[in-house]
Amino acid sequence: MSATETEFSTALDLSVLLGDWRNTNQRGGIARIVCAPSADGFVTVQCFGRTEPEPRDWGTVEAPVFAFTFDSEQAGAFLAVFDLGFLEVRLQANVKAGVLVVATFNRFSDTSGRSNYFEREFFYRTSR
Amino acid sequence: MPDLEIARESERMQLAMPRPRVDIERMAGQWLKTNDKPQWIGRVDVAVDGDDLVVQVFGGGEAPSPSDWGTARSEILYAGTMQSGDALAGAFLCHYELPGMSIELQANLNLGLLVVATYVTFREQDALANRFTREFFRIAEAQEADA
Repeated sequence: MSATETEFSTALDLSVLLGDWRNTNQRGGIARIVCAPSADGFVTVQCFGRTEPEPRDWGTVEAPVFAFTFDSEQAGAFLAVFDLGFLEVRLQANVKAGVLVVATFNRFSDTSGRSNYFEREFFYRTSR
Repeated sequence: MPDLEIARESERMQLAMPRPRVDIERMAGQWLKTNDKPQWIGRVDVAVDGDDLVVQVFGGGEAPSPSDWGTARSEILYAGTMQSGDALAGAFLCHYELPGMSIELQANLNLGLLVVATYVTFREQDALANRFTREFFRIAEAQEADA
């Protein structure tokens, strides 16, 4: 069973994660991440890739949330998985000092010859 | 390139198939925690087996991390860039099924460190919260490495 197939969870306060997050790098690969509350133990995550002429909406997925310690009641991280058909993105996200730190693990399944790749970016919150 | 799909503008490139092999030898070795205090993971042994990695994790003294998680095979390997198989800033992914918990382990190389993140999910309702960890490991010196 993977983390995304969780059936049980301890209810956690989601407030640290929720909001509209923008990339600190104006040329970064992901332009925007929107996190909203969902069912117990999950947030919904919508991602927008930076593409021309318009950002690409990757869609919205449910992502399980995680605390930084086993006895915490505060969620500080989530794991969102986007399946775009030609590309799977596993998005590792956690909030540190008010910054959403995002590592993406990108796996191509097309014939473009592009290598699977790892990338790390940072986001600041514009609104809750 | 009308048929090329991208999620980000930086992905707009068509390269030759097959994809280059990821240079996983860069990730192999015995990795020791950088922190003197107990932590979730104490040591990670990474070995190359053909085009895969075999990963053995040892607990770092923080409950309920077992002292030996056993071995897991890498499921996905990542380069540091789309244009090559260079793993200088590469990564790998594997999963562990431990007593009462499922763990997704995501590791990446950064400036000579192995950065290991785990998503710990309890399989049943528990007093403990599902947890995210992110810890740092350095390669063992020759005299430190276990036989």
